[in-house]
Amino acid sequence: MARTIILILLFFSVISSFAQKRYTISGTNKDEATGELLIGATVKIKELPQIGTSTNSYGFYSFSAPDGEYTLLFTYVGYETLERQVLLHQSQTVNISISPGNSLKEVVISSNKPNNDNVASPQMGLEKLNMSQINQVPVLLGERDILKTISLLPGIKSAGEGNTGFYVRGGASDQNLILLDEAPVYNASHFFGFFSTFNSDAIKDVSIYKGGMPAEYGGRLSSVLDIKMNDGNNKDFTVQGGLGLIASRIKVEGPLVKDKGSFMISARRTYLDLFLKASSDSTIKGSSLYFYDINAKANYHFDDKNALYLSGYFGKDVLSLKNTFGTNWGNSTGTIRFNHIFNNRLFSNTSLIYSNYNYTIQSLQSTDNFKATSKITDLNLKEDLQYAMGNDHTLKFGLNVLHHTIAPGDITTTATSSFNSRSIEQRYGFENAAYVSDEWKANDKLTILYGLRLSGMFLLGPGTFSTYNALGNTVSSITYSSGQSVKTYFNLEPRFSASYQLNDDNSIKISYNRNTQNIHLLTNSTSSSPTDLYVMSSNNIKPEIADQVSTGWFRNFKDNTYEFSAEVYYKKLQNQIDYKDGAQLIANQDVESQLTYGSGRAYGLELFLKKKYGRFNGWIGYTLSRTELKFDAINNGNYYPARQDRTHDLSVVGIYQLSKRWSFSGTFIYGTGNAVTYPTGKYNIGGLTTFSYSQRNGYRLPSSNRLDIGATLEGKEHKKYQSSWTFGIYNIYGHRDPYLVTFRDSKTVPNTTEAVETSIFATPIPSVTWNFKF
Amino acid sequence: MKHYKFYIASILAILAVSCTKVIDLKLGNDTGKLVIEGNITDVSEPQYIKLSRNVAFNNTNTYPAVTGATVSVSDDKGNTYPFKEGPSGTYSINLMNGITGSTYNMTVLTNGASYTASSTMPSLIQLDSITAKTTALNSSKNQKEITVHFKDPAATANQYRFIMYVNNVQVKGVFAFNDDFTDGRYVHNELREDDIKIYPGDTVTVEMQCIDKIIYTYWLTLMQQLGTDRPGGAVAPSNPPTNITPATLGYFSAHTTQTKTIVIK
Repeated sequence: MARTIILILLFFSVISSFAQKRYTISGTNKDEATGELLIGATVKIKELPQIGTSTNSYGFYSFSAPDGEYTLLFTYVGYETLERQVLLHQSQTVNISISPGNSLKEVVISSNKPNNDNVASPQMGLEKLNMSQINQVPVLLGERDILKTISLLPGIKSAGEGNTGFYVRGGASDQNLILLDEAPVYNASHFFGFFSTFNSDAIKDVSIYKGGMPAEYGGRLSSVLDIKMNDGNNKDFTVQGGLGLIASRIKVEGPLVKDKGSFMISARRTYLDLFLKASSDSTIKGSSLYFYDINAKANYHFDDKNALYLSGYFGKDVLSLKNTFGTNWGNSTGTIRFNHIFNNRLFSNTSLIYSNYNYTIQSLQSTDNFKATSKITDLNLKEDLQYAMGNDHTLKFGLNVLHHTIAPGDITTTATSSFNSRSIEQRYGFENAAYVSDEWKANDKLTILYGLRLSGMFLLGPGTFSTYNALGNTVSSITYSSGQSVKTYFNLEPRFSASYQLNDDNSIKISYNRNTQNIHLLTNSTSSSPTDLYVMSSNNIKPEIADQVSTGWFRNFKDNTYEFSAEVYYKKLQNQIDYKDGAQLIANQDVESQLTYGSGRAYGLELFLKKKYGRFNGWIGYTLSRTELKFDAINNGNYYPARQDRTHDLSVVGIYQLSKRWSFSGTFIYGTGNAVTYPTGKYNIGGLTTFSYSQRNGYRLPSSNRLDIGATLEGKEHKKYQSSWTFGIYNIYGHRDPYLVTFRDSKTVPNTTEAVETSIFATPIPSVTWNFKF
Repeated sequence: MKHYKFYIASILAILAVSCTKVIDLKLGNDTGKLVIEGNITDVSEPQYIKLSRNVAFNNTNTYPAVTGATVSVSDDKGNTYPFKEGPSGTYSINLMNGITGSTYNMTVLTNGASYTASSTMPSLIQLDSITAKTTALNSSKNQKEITVHFKDPAATANQYRFIMYVNNVQVKGVFAFNDDFTDGRYVHNELREDDIKIYPGDTVTVEMQCIDKIIYTYWLTLMQQLGTDRPGGAVAPSNPPTNITPATLGYFSAHTTQTKTIVIK
């Protein structure tokens, strides 16, 4: 099948090249110093600025142009622009390397004319962050954090103080597809969300799609966070690392075979437990509290056309109280990828991906001992092809076969325990997809990106599957044998976006996309918890569906130094999930009986002004939005604000390079408080003051705001090594951001009640990190 | 099984620099709603059904009594027990006791509306003993926590509610458990609370109730909501699901009752 498609495409390509006398230029674009492949670098013809393309996730580009003699321009943010003369009388390969620029040389920057990709590209709802910005944005305790930094972008909201969960355009936090080298990461947080699982040392590229998802992505409703790890330096060995207040990290990279293969290994561990050792309490003293993670990657380029990549991640959180209680959880992922360039128009990537998330909870006291484990394992085979057809079309198509194994819960106990041993049936299923998309440059002004994704969910036996009615009672129970089909869902997901360029600096874009989701997170706590449970679409749970339309105006100023965009979106959500009163989610065979289903809608306006270049850079993002849910059993079946509904959200990020050695940064955030449910009355029941409620999420926590600052001091230049100091103060004016508000009998005035606000990190929190590289 | 959240919260509290303050809030006022609290126990004693109305959050904790109602309970054997109005909205009957396995129906007529509820009294499960042990955290302070011990019968679904008093003051907390994870086991259940600190010399009394399923969900929902006052807290609070029709605040429960008292050493 795939072979036939390729042949047809080849046939068309031959036809079109004969007809127009056009030749193809293709190749890879690398960092000159390290040999890292550059993702999303622009290639253009100086004489024909409408003709050009950008490199894909593997640094590969391909496009065609009429017979002629040209100057090629290669540009990439933070790098010097490279010009290369080509005599285009035949198709050819142009592999190039460009070197990182110096942001202090403002002159260089204005001469290398940053590109206007964000105006010209049909893609909308996409934000890219470069690692040097992420590394300079000040964060809690100096632990640089991709997830915290992306939540400073418009349309992306942090789930709250000290929480790495994030909401994109009103979607729930499980509606984000988080990919690390194509492997889905199920729990992206350490320590219940205080830190993210991504060690920024090991990361090369971060892209987040808030809307207009290209057809090659699917499986989640709200967003795709696509994170790519570094390949490793293939020129020289380097070691770099840092010592921080709560964690240290180290990275080693270097060539395996010079210019052909390289490796990278990066590790990080926290030592918060050292603080516990200082405690006078013997139980706390004997406790553990740490996490670690390891990223590793290796690649080998057999020749110009064939390359193999291996990458992996392993992380674990460990937390225990001496002789009482212990828990640990972690993700592991592995990806094997093979790139093959069939010819200068057709690029192929084949990936085999493994992903696992598991947790263990243990009670160590003899009278109530137990050990509970749960895990989800994915095995995924992907084939992605990219084909440059003529000058006007870039086709992408592929297949994805993803197998899930979910072990929801296994409990083992001893005879003295209060608890029984128990094992919940494992669940198996396939999530398969096929997609095709085409980026079509219709003319100088209009570019259209359209595609279609077919997703299929196949829930398979063995196991006993019960169907529940609205009350949660079992209606029927059927036992299936191994591999027998329990339930199948097919969904067609159209994706469309288009840009109409008014001139070099102005464009209007529109997009529509449908996304579906067949794996759902069940959690009944507001912070990310290791016991978060995943379930597949089933005889009870229908696939979640989101339809999103958006439109926007994109404007660049001052030779593309400033980028401005205004986007509006409307999103309709179907088959959303909530829980019944008193829901019990842990190790529950009948967990699906505890669910109730509803719908939702989200809409908003996002304004974004960004200065990408120069001594002073940063951005301002503002979002005005609304997110509402509708469940029959809640709020009399009327729409109510979702917890993550945040009317106003403002972030300001500034980075200033004062001198060669000193740079400063600051972030300011302001946001409307979360929607919360407050009592509208009280009564006495069972001898206790009890509160009555009449409207779900009818109130707001007070608004939050915070200013963080940071500074980096580069050490004096040495031939052999470099070092730097990073300083930061989180919440510099000690603002008390409300974390939650609770209600209780007054502790001071008898026979009355009071509201109590809890804040965390309500004081300035300093940090210092020493970084080195040699 | 659910205690893991408590431990996690304790560790988070050490980690996160948290602080609290009392704040003034403008809260809505959806008051004057009927509250019914009806209990039938297996002990021959006066049984009570209390009628009141809810008040605004900023009021004092005094709740207007509902007077002039007609209150009665009937059982599945055709007996009807009329309840007599007493002071402050308390309706009672002298020396009546429920029988395990029987279903009781409550009827309340007030202001032209009729409210009904039914509850089946579960079997009595013997409360073996209650014990005190030093808390794992802050062990140097010799603070104690209470564990209840009982044998859960196998192959039946059982639900329990405990009420704890320290020196005759009721602990502000809800303790509701079922045997989902403990069916047929000899159960040691910690009654974890942070309202009253218990030290040697204190007198602790625990009442154990065997409750039916709907009433368990009622108390469990309240218990989960009381657990929201710490990091990682639970879902949005709502009125617990009542067994009274038409729905109003409160519940009607037929349950067994036993009490044990210890003096902490």
